[in-house]
Amino acid sequence: MTTPEVTNLDRKGAPIWGTLIGQLLKALLALAPLLVFMSIFFFAPLTAVVLDSFQGNDGNFTWANYADVFKEPIITAMRTSLALALVSAIVSAIPGAVLAFLIESRGSDRLRQVVASISGVLANTGGVPLAFMFIASLGAEGAATSLLKAIGLDIYSAGFSLFTFGGLVLVYTYFQIPMMVIVFSPAIHGLRKEWNEAARTLGASGRQFWFSVGIPLLFPSFLSALLLLFASAFSAYATARAMTNGTIALVPLMIGNLLDGNVIFDEVNLAKALAVAMIVVTLLAMVPYLIIQRRAQRWQG
Amino acid sequence: MKGLKSRQLPLTIGLILATIFVVLPLGSAAEFSLREPLKNTHGFDNYVWFFEAPDFAKYLGISFGLALASALILLVILVPTVVWLNLGGSKFRGLVEFISLLPLVIPVVALAIGAQTALPDFAQTNEVILAFMYAVLAVPYAYRTMDTGLRSIPLQTIVEAARGLGADWLAVLFKVIIPVIRSTVLSALFMTLALSLGEFTITSLLHWDTFTTWVTTMSQSNILGAIALSVFSLVSVFVLLLVISVFIKPTKSLIISEEN
Amino acid sequence: MSSTTLSLKSVSRRFKDTIALDSLDLDVAQGELVSLLGPSGCGKTTALRIIAGLDKPDAGHVLVGGKDVSQLPPNKRNMGMVFQSYSLFPNLTAAENVAFGLAMRNEPKRLRVQRSQELLELVGLPKHAKRFPHQLSGGQQQRVALARALAFEPDVLLLDEPLSALDAQVRANLRDEIRALQIKTGTTTIFVTHDQEEAMAMSDRVAVMHQGKISQIAKPDELYHYPANEFVAGFVGQMNRIPARVEGQKLVIADSIANLHPLSPLQGGDGLALVRPESVNVETLRESKDVSNAVVVSRAFLGPMSKVVLSLQDGSEISSVMTSSKSNDFSSGDAVRVSVAPGSYLMVGA
Repeated sequence: MTTPEVTNLDRKGAPIWGTLIGQLLKALLALAPLLVFMSIFFFAPLTAVVLDSFQGNDGNFTWANYADVFKEPIITAMRTSLALALVSAIVSAIPGAVLAFLIESRGSDRLRQVVASISGVLANTGGVPLAFMFIASLGAEGAATSLLKAIGLDIYSAGFSLFTFGGLVLVYTYFQIPMMVIVFSPAIHGLRKEWNEAARTLGASGRQFWFSVGIPLLFPSFLSALLLLFASAFSAYATARAMTNGTIALVPLMIGNLLDGNVIFDEVNLAKALAVAMIVVTLLAMVPYLIIQRRAQRWQG
Repeated sequence: MKGLKSRQLPLTIGLILATIFVVLPLGSAAEFSLREPLKNTHGFDNYVWFFEAPDFAKYLGISFGLALASALILLVILVPTVVWLNLGGSKFRGLVEFISLLPLVIPVVALAIGAQTALPDFAQTNEVILAFMYAVLAVPYAYRTMDTGLRSIPLQTIVEAARGLGADWLAVLFKVIIPVIRSTVLSALFMTLALSLGEFTITSLLHWDTFTTWVTTMSQSNILGAIALSVFSLVSVFVLLLVISVFIKPTKSLIISEEN
Repeated sequence: MSSTTLSLKSVSRRFKDTIALDSLDLDVAQGELVSLLGPSGCGKTTALRIIAGLDKPDAGHVLVGGKDVSQLPPNKRNMGMVFQSYSLFPNLTAAENVAFGLAMRNEPKRLRVQRSQELLELVGLPKHAKRFPHQLSGGQQQRVALARALAFEPDVLLLDEPLSALDAQVRANLRDEIRALQIKTGTTTIFVTHDQEEAMAMSDRVAVMHQGKISQIAKPDELYHYPANEFVAGFVGQMNRIPARVEGQKLVIADSIANLHPLSPLQGGDGLALVRPESVNVETLRESKDVSNAVVVSRAFLGPMSKVVLSLQDGSEISSVMTSSKSNDFSSGDAVRVSVAPGSYLMVGA
């Protein structure tokens, strides 16, 4: 391919840091489309939000918005949001992991591809269609509700309601489980057949293999997938809004409300502070994610 | 052969459960949407009502157009990036993966508000902004699928062989790279379609009207109809997806099956 | 050592439309190293996996020390296996990897640590106990894999092309080390490879496999000099086919007389004798003081040896391998005298 860098000089005779900068420049050029795109449509908006969150209604710098974040009713909403994210992440991660495992280890190539495509669609199904679907199926008049009633399970008289915390968790699983399948499959894919075979020839039963090798190897990836699920559940907005009409206090909904009724200027900035608070939470979830991912990469020779 | 069956059993059970899980809400919503309470039967009244609604085609078209546009944007941005990553830029893989995950974990609400502030003119005057924002939302999945697809072939070797045989970069792109990622490209397209039909947050916060916001507004007056529409949009994406999946050859597994 | 004999009896295996193993029979003596040598698709890896229990045969039995182990799962067969690559557990240190088999047998910790250290020393990696696989080179990893396979004193050692993924130099060194270790521990061993040189250098016997059957199994030199059939003759090393006429227990070849090998397929009449290039003598006419029966076509320098290609009177070409210094006597176009080493036993085929 290219000539090996045997000497410490590039063609013009500049010292080695020249080639390092050269590499960086090349990288920048290659990544330019992505970076420019993300800068305009992602980082710029984010920065705007962060900056605005520090603005009081007189246009001056203030921490007031953030002070409000730690007061009621926002604190309760924050707690509920965190709980919702955590519960739905865990509830979705386990079936998702199991399904991913079964498909990766025992499924054909075609099955894997079909599942990947469908999971992609489902994972992006949210908001309005999803909410409507669940209302239609498990709402008081829903088709599934009637079906269950017909076989003797009247879930509504047992206290079930779609518009509760539990109901929301259920709805979230619809896109969280596919997300788990997508995110966790590569880890299973990387589990080499030789490890299992070697373990068995060394005397390990199936259970011993999983206990000593399989699960320790998969655990970091599982954890990082869980973190990803948590972050995305925490950020979800449209579904919650379509589902709850005010019955459950969630931070994204508060933001929406503040923005809808925004006659008062500084309420807008409060909304932005809330948004930033959300970003901080998700970023905090991403830090362990990155660390775990890096460690896991080293293992998967 | 006995061993084979018992191995496949958990998978089969898992798949059956998964299918029920996926189809049940969809099916129920379909049934719901077919209800005609006034006539106490089932029928397509709700669908008809919607299809005949004045702006149906217009808004559906808008959402489709946006989906196509964002798919295109994704391709233009991601294909070169992923190709470069796999051809020698692997040092920056970690960075790119991190960036690609951000849209997933950053609250969409924040993004929407920020877009309004950061790009006021563009956001107000041109609906295309939505295509770009949808693309941002789809980056995590699109990048991942594309990367996995390209990683499953010995890309560097093939490209070098092609170049050695005299192909220029354009030929390499079309004859080597595109065929491999054809299925992932299609997947990405379906994803953006699902996303576009379901995306509400950014659209409404930026005060644009797409199929989704239109459905929401209409649902105030006809909840059944709204459900009909949602079901319609989801099911059609699914059906398209399955039909196309049948015709695309799957990319081979990374772990090459043992020689016997 | 607890090593024993190993036998395969009429083992057959097919995959869809292909026959991988065709009623294979193999008997390995205690402490013997037998190589399964052959091109890809010949069934050697399948055979190994069936011995290990990682695959089930459609018919036939595997016997270890006379006992039928065919129904036993791999974790009950007490066999050590080394794979081609990437088989060390990434989450365990080298020492923990080596001790794994003992851990699975519930050996106490002290014994595991001691044995682990012993074996790491045996494979030349005493100071690498606490390293993780991703910190080891390819050669080091395979050494650890070997130590791991031997740690619990298996009845049989199975090696599936363990050197194929390594650099040439590392491969050569490791090859000798594996053989030395195998002799020292006296473990009955099956070694699968597609590299002839490896198989010849390491084995007590080599089984050449072709399309699911053993074409010939013999000691390396016997296999080399007296291939039993066309496939083996063509697969192992280079082989000349020189016209010869069989007369009784002798044959006339290139104006010289050689002995007919008793196992020769052709026992009378005209045929083609199989002669290794190094057994073809070439002399200048001045040396031999005899009449020419061949012409030099070309010469190729191979390092310590050189290959000289000659054309016989009937137009066919043969090659001779000689020391490079001797090959300097010959140039293209020279008329020379070709003969076979006196006293050699040759196989003649049709």
